[in-house]
Amino acid sequence: MSAVRRPAGRPRSAVLSRYPVLVALAVGALFMVLPFLIVAVNAVKSPAEYSAGGPLSLPDGLYLDGLKDFWERVDFGQKLLNSVLISGSVAVLAVVLSVLNAYAIGIGRIRGRAWVLAFFVLANTLPQEALVYPVYHLSKEAGLYDTRLSVVIVFTVIQAAFGTYLLAAVLGRFPREIVDAARIDGANAWQVLWRIVVPVSRPTLGVLLVFFFVWTWNEFLLPLVMLISNDNQTVSVALGVLQGQRLMDATMTNAAALLGVLPAIVFFLVFQRTLTRGIAVGAVK
Amino acid sequence: MLTARRRVMATAAAVLCGTLLLASCGGSDSGSSDGKTLRLWHYEGPDSAMGLAWNAAIEEFERTHPGVEVKFEEKGFEQIQKTAPMVLNSGDAPDLMEYNKGNATAGLLSKQGLLTDLSAEAAERGWDRKISASVRTTSQYDARGVMGSGKWYGIPNYAEYTMVFYNKDLFEKHGVAEPRTFGELTAAMDAFVDKGVTPLANAGAEYMAQQYLYQLALSRADRGWVDSYELYQGKSDFHDAAWTYGAETFADWVRKGYISEKSSGTKAEDAGVSFIRGESPILFSGSWWYGRFVAENKFDWGTFLWPDSAMTLGSGGNLWVVPKGAANKDLAYDFIDITMSRRIQNLLGNKGGVPVAADPAAITDPRAKGLIENFNTLAERDGLAFYPDWPVPGFYDVLVSETQKLITGDATPDAYLDAVQKAYDKGVPKT
Repeated sequence: MSAVRRPAGRPRSAVLSRYPVLVALAVGALFMVLPFLIVAVNAVKSPAEYSAGGPLSLPDGLYLDGLKDFWERVDFGQKLLNSVLISGSVAVLAVVLSVLNAYAIGIGRIRGRAWVLAFFVLANTLPQEALVYPVYHLSKEAGLYDTRLSVVIVFTVIQAAFGTYLLAAVLGRFPREIVDAARIDGANAWQVLWRIVVPVSRPTLGVLLVFFFVWTWNEFLLPLVMLISNDNQTVSVALGVLQGQRLMDATMTNAAALLGVLPAIVFFLVFQRTLTRGIAVGAVK
Repeated sequence: MLTARRRVMATAAAVLCGTLLLASCGGSDSGSSDGKTLRLWHYEGPDSAMGLAWNAAIEEFERTHPGVEVKFEEKGFEQIQKTAPMVLNSGDAPDLMEYNKGNATAGLLSKQGLLTDLSAEAAERGWDRKISASVRTTSQYDARGVMGSGKWYGIPNYAEYTMVFYNKDLFEKHGVAEPRTFGELTAAMDAFVDKGVTPLANAGAEYMAQQYLYQLALSRADRGWVDSYELYQGKSDFHDAAWTYGAETFADWVRKGYISEKSSGTKAEDAGVSFIRGESPILFSGSWWYGRFVAENKFDWGTFLWPDSAMTLGSGGNLWVVPKGAANKDLAYDFIDITMSRRIQNLLGNKGGVPVAADPAAITDPRAKGLIENFNTLAERDGLAFYPDWPVPGFYDVLVSETQKLITGDATPDAYLDAVQKAYDKGVPKT
């Protein structure tokens, strides 16, 4: 997050304006990190400590049974594998689909592209609750109910709708001279896409890939409905096992939340450099 | 060089993508009616009384059914709530599952024809005789899906009821006598208020507040009143003596400081924790807290039924239901039969649950014995009055917000009763 803007050429006001911004950012960062810290602290607390001291007290020592019990109780390794499988497939497929769509709309400039884009925006605004029953019936008819493939297909389409919308806007402003130059050199549409457009937009595609992965990772409702067998379930659905009808196990829920969010954070950190490279397409080289 | 590297990357990505796709096709095993597997789902934690008893039941089942494998999956409560109608309507339904009792849940599924009628099995295997009258209410549903009469669609292994949990150490510390009658209870609460202690733990944002109020009304009510309110056998007038007494007394208790005015926004978890931490001397709530209090309370504590009231909140617990599409129904019936056996029922009782058909003599833990004896007392006098939010869909939220207004003083008892009457009349099924 690079919210700090330096007004060029006015050093005095720059110094003056920098500290408030720094303080504001620090406060903002604290607010972002605090919930995560509370989760982390409670994850290593014993239930008795939690009941006695409440959520804000510091634990006396590391209590890792909550993490361990949860891991074994839901067979967390299997859930991780499922989540990686689903989120990974969705991220890759959705990016490929978005590129193909956006190429046609942004650079190919097909007729009626405004309508097509409007349709994609509409698809984006559709709440997932509205999709539950249609998707359930379709997947049952197709024999895909309770398979990971059904979730992959649904989310590929959902994420690609957003990806198409975003990429079409980005590629709409793609430097024409590069495309024209390639055309003059005799490249066909396919070669322009893979040799010119994709390499130049790679930073944007990288960002999309990361976003699709993290978003799909955190999806709850559709995986909850579509993945019935415990063997097929994702991490975020597995976390729901702990929410009882009337009681909650606060420490184990925190342990589970920590386990659930860690892979997404790791993934995020690994690809962080892709993100900082920015969402805009590189200029004419 | 660069292009070569890129090509390798592209191929690698394609291969990865392909394998991911192939792997995610991987099978979902549908039920097979080979009589060799029992697919079983429930959503009780492994350390809860039910979880422990049912694990023992699974062992017993596998011992008595050699060659049959029990495929148990622990589910989340929310997942079952949200997806049960869809799962049961597909080929992936389990053979036996735990499901929430009530008109909006088991009743609805029975009306949609997604559950197996268990009446014949219940009569043949004697389950109906083991289950007492007010527990039975949530097992039977008529053609409209309304509980209380009709066919058996579910069998509960346990029951739940509300009671007064009290912290003996705090009573002693403040020199307050342990109450046995309603008069003594209010006297004890007065004594606590004098010492600057709020006597009752309450949660205005959740079920607890309305349960206090309903309990107060119940102490002036009888079975006919409950049946007309909960089972629509007659018209419910919220300005009758019982409801008026309940609302006015509740408002009065807030004014007197028995219940904190600040409790309008608290959750049940907060109230429970304030009892566990020894801040609140009294908590009136359900048997579902019992196991946690045994594990976490660091003081001497006891329970008693709400004094001078023939009835209290409670009902049969969640149900075993057999989906219509279950592949191995006979195995499912056998499993239910094992969970109703004395051995499993006694185990459930000894672990802090409230079994429906246990032998009180076989319960060794003295506190658990008290829990079950109190339940048996209630069952004998037909004293389970269900929960106030049951009759009407969406009534829970109305009761929560109206009772909150009563706590904060934004509504008079009269206005409270008017609002509740309106919501009730609107939602009650027309016959």
